Amino acid sequence: MSAAVSEGRRPATPSTTEPAWVRRSLIALALVFLTLFLFVPLAAVFVEALKKGLQVYWAAITEPDAVSAIRLTMIAALVAVPLNLVFGIAAAWAIAKFDFRGKNVLLTLIDLPFSVSPVIAGLIYVLVFGLQGWFGEWLRDHDLKVIFALPGIVLATVFITFPFVARELIPLMQAQGTEQEEAARVLGAGGWQMFLRVTLPNVKWALLYGVILCNARAMGEFGAVSVVSGHIRGQTNTMPLHIEILYNEYQFAAAFAVASLLAGLALVTLLVKFLVERRIQRSTISV
Amino acid sequence: MSIQVRNLNKRFGATVVCDNLNLDIGDGELVALLGPSGSGKTTLLRIIAGLEVPDSGSVLFHGEDATSADVRERKVGFVFQHYALFGHMTIFENVAFGLRVKPRDVRPSEATIRAKVMELLTLVQLDSIAGRYPHQLSGGQRQRIALARALAVEPKMLLLDEPFGALDARVRKELRRWLRRLHDEVHVTSVFVTHDQEEAMEVADRIVVMNQGRIEQDGPPDEVYDRPATPFVLQFLGDVNVFHGRLGSAAGKDGEISFVRPHELDVVPAAAPGTVEATLVQALTVGPNTRLEFRRSADQSFVDVEMARSDWMALRDRLGLATGSTVHLLPRKVTRFAAEDVDFDPAAMI
Repeated sequence: MSAAVSEGRRPATPSTTEPAWVRRSLIALALVFLTLFLFVPLAAVFVEALKKGLQVYWAAITEPDAVSAIRLTMIAALVAVPLNLVFGIAAAWAIAKFDFRGKNVLLTLIDLPFSVSPVIAGLIYVLVFGLQGWFGEWLRDHDLKVIFALPGIVLATVFITFPFVARELIPLMQAQGTEQEEAARVLGAGGWQMFLRVTLPNVKWALLYGVILCNARAMGEFGAVSVVSGHIRGQTNTMPLHIEILYNEYQFAAAFAVASLLAGLALVTLLVKFLVERRIQRSTISV
Repeated sequence: MSIQVRNLNKRFGATVVCDNLNLDIGDGELVALLGPSGSGKTTLLRIIAGLEVPDSGSVLFHGEDATSADVRERKVGFVFQHYALFGHMTIFENVAFGLRVKPRDVRPSEATIRAKVMELLTLVQLDSIAGRYPHQLSGGQRQRIALARALAVEPKMLLLDEPFGALDARVRKELRRWLRRLHDEVHVTSVFVTHDQEEAMEVADRIVVMNQGRIEQDGPPDEVYDRPATPFVLQFLGDVNVFHGRLGSAAGKDGEISFVRPHELDVVPAAAPGTVEATLVQALTVGPNTRLEFRRSADQSFVDVEMARSDWMALRDRLGLATGSTVHLLPRKVTRFAAEDVDFDPAAMI
């Protein structure tokens, strides 16, 4: 955002600017809003987390239940992100470079997780794989547990983070067209050579950006995971769920301590995103 | 390598873009596919390259059927209108691409690749900028790099899709001559697509004029210009005046339409056999040439006459011409077609 604004910066002319007092009050309003709704809450997380000292903080994030929640969140993200990376590239490739029947249906399907409430997404999996669901009995007979277990959490996370990579790649790939790929083919490149040497380098920054967003969402997802997890402490609690439980039990310092980890992750994500965006801008300006 | 196209058909939806095409291109020839947009020339080129699959018909390379051969196996060099250079690679790597993606057993050594690429960059006179990226180059330079990249794999033929279409007029002119010279040096069979008749006349050994998926005429530039086979070719290759009915000293038949190019009309003071009476509407001088716009007395239609500026000055002084003067126009060369062959609207071609 900020990069895009500064790029279009021009000396203000009387015809496009407002009186100084209007400008100043608009800026002040925006700053007050940002402070109240973004900076204060973020600061509050860290302040609350460290209120009772570093020792309490450390204890809160190293107690077995917290460690288990952190591990589970990591596992879910580690499965969901690579899966959606592969899926996103494949879908974007198909949509951007080929014409086929049902292309718009596929596009709409990719957007489905954005438009469906996460809680509904979780419920869908309960209805399909839960004990009373379609495959419930079959799964029980074969001693497979999906709902209230790791597979369910991973499934819900994959579903929720489905669109991020594909959505990031499709517009860019569409804009780039197929000429470079055709050039590569004519020059004798095989399918993989074309993909690895031409297509992938052309979208690498957008791809990284998509992965960052996908990862942030995978780790932070609450609604869908909450429905399928069953909240079993030390077993099926992810970080967001663990935080909720701690908070409900009035263990504020511990809740904020774990929350600070997620918030820290968000900040790191934003930083990486900012750096990547700067890269994207440089490479698109130069092309 | 020679190219033969046999009974080639291709349609996109309801639009026929290649309508039973037959074409022979000899070894080492430089051929232009000339036609308006939508005439099927680019599709024909892409089918020859293997980037498009024909609905029916075949493409033969040196007599061997290549219709179902994969793009990679055809060993063609293709130059795209918008260059299609790889933006994330240096100029050197762009040119080296075709060599680097060869299967390991036939891939040249790093030293050979380096020598080959530098040789090609010298050929296109851009060896000094091997380390730059495509976006740092001008349009003309990019297109030369695209050519060098296509030549790197030692293609059996070079196919160019509107290679100068995206360049400004001056650079175009320069690159045309340069392509002509390059072809004289390298002698690889080359086919290029263009909608610019001047470009086709200047560069090609042979011009194939296409319209609505069909080949209208196929011949050397002079022949296509002087003896157009169809009214379309006549009109596409340059400005022309249209006269309905009898014109000129030769006995014209009724129902014929006569065409006279603007520079093949003489302005004479008195009526003579074959002349047309007309009034001068305006005279426009652009550079060395003057274009005179006349209105025919008979049917009020406009007739253009073109001559050298100096000739116009002399003529004006000799006949005392001014806007509104009535004179007579004598065609030196008339091309006639039966009216039923002239089935298109000349205005639609602008």
